[in-house]
Amino acid sequence: MAHPAAPLQEAKIRALIAAHAGPDRVPVRFKIITDTSDFFRVEYNDVVVLGGVPYWVKRYEKEGRFGIDDEPKYWVRRAIDLTTGATKIIKLVFHEQFEATVGEVKITCFRSPKKEARVLDLVAGHKNFMHGHWVLDAAGNNVRILEFIRGPRFDDVVAGYGTDHHDYFHNYFPKVLDQYLDLLLAIQFLHDHGEKHGDIRRDHIIWDDETQANRWIDFDYNYEQSESVFGFDLQGLGNILIFLAGRGDVLVGDLYHDQRELFDTLWGEDLSIAYKNRVANLKKIYPYIPDSLNRVLLHFSFGANIFYETTGQMLDDLAKARADMVKLSGRRV
Amino acid sequence: MSEDDFGDLRRRDTERHLLAAVDESDNSKRTVMFLADFFSDSPNVFITLLSIIPEPSEDFFPTETERQAWLQEKESQMQKTLAGYKELLIGAGFQDGRIESRLSIRPCTSIGDAILEEQEKLRCCIVVVGRRGISHSEEFVFGSTSSKILHHAKHCAVMVVE
Repeated sequence: MAHPAAPLQEAKIRALIAAHAGPDRVPVRFKIITDTSDFFRVEYNDVVVLGGVPYWVKRYEKEGRFGIDDEPKYWVRRAIDLTTGATKIIKLVFHEQFEATVGEVKITCFRSPKKEARVLDLVAGHKNFMHGHWVLDAAGNNVRILEFIRGPRFDDVVAGYGTDHHDYFHNYFPKVLDQYLDLLLAIQFLHDHGEKHGDIRRDHIIWDDETQANRWIDFDYNYEQSESVFGFDLQGLGNILIFLAGRGDVLVGDLYHDQRELFDTLWGEDLSIAYKNRVANLKKIYPYIPDSLNRVLLHFSFGANIFYETTGQMLDDLAKARADMVKLSGRRV
Repeated sequence: MSEDDFGDLRRRDTERHLLAAVDESDNSKRTVMFLADFFSDSPNVFITLLSIIPEPSEDFFPTETERQAWLQEKESQMQKTLAGYKELLIGAGFQDGRIESRLSIRPCTSIGDAILEEQEKLRCCIVVVGRRGISHSEEFVFGSTSSKILHHAKHCAVMVVE
């Protein structure tokens, strides 16, 4: 962390903007902000000074969430570090508590800047997480300054693999599974240190074009747990695995309209426990899926009688699935 | 009774010592009523009413002051609830000296594990818990304390009150 810095002179900041973007792009009027308590006050072209570094504020970030596409996140701004020219994501303090619903289950979630700052410190240098640091602004707000990751979402990459599921599963999925295992190990690393990701969704994994690795992003959520501390994280990991094994979500409605003979074989217990319109028992749809992999998927189905409590349990089962995938695809271990 | 005071354990070993893990829920009240009904005329049964309050993460509160205020309120509520449960048992015929209350506020990743740790310290021969009757999906996400205790308890019996 760094302590709040003395305000930089406006003339110096104008010179830095001119050096970065050219003299014509220097705004006529802008604010120099050191207290970010009211994040709505931070506007396009303003400069936020954090830890002595001036950041030239650009657009809001957006996120699709709970059915609302492209919801603006007013507390998350793209910005230019005027001392290096690097693009950063600046996350201002926003405390939020809300209920997320997964299936029929309501989960109380909290957005916590402190938690994300703690995790950023923990995962510094870990290839499968976003990186950044945190700074207290002049009012003591914990502002996170994140490295900008260039690359597509992992799920978008996977959805483009192969000509059909058979081609995808035999020729691409073994590699995808290895990448998923890396991501699972990364979450195990968090859990081993007593931390949760808190919002495990497939759009929170970015394929970093530069490092050629998938990276988890957005870990400022925590949630109220009960007996199973990491249950919500594990549920998210299961949903992602079902998506990857199916080359997308296999939706009951689509089967009803397009493949009635498969639809007729399904029972309620074959569906995802979290999303009842998605099939978890994918072997019924794609019979070449190895039993060992399907057994892992069934842990996330409505028919499951036992659930994973730790990432270690899931990794143990996936080791067998990986070996079977290697045999199936003819790849060497 | 303080958290580090386990009473006269030598004497307790000769008694029928029940550890009833409770909170403020209806199923906990049902559990205490069941014990009152079932054991009130057994003179050598000793009951410890145990409540665990997991210390909430700092992440859930904007400031430490708010976290402490939440904890104080929770502790005060639980003390009242424990006193109410004790009165219920006494009303059913239990002697005051055969009931103890323990309130443990602690960092805790599993309430089930915390209850079993207390059982081990107190050498209770039966752990009694209520069952929330959660759905399959809820158990998937949140886990189940009664299931955890049923599967992990050692050197004691487990009674789950529906």
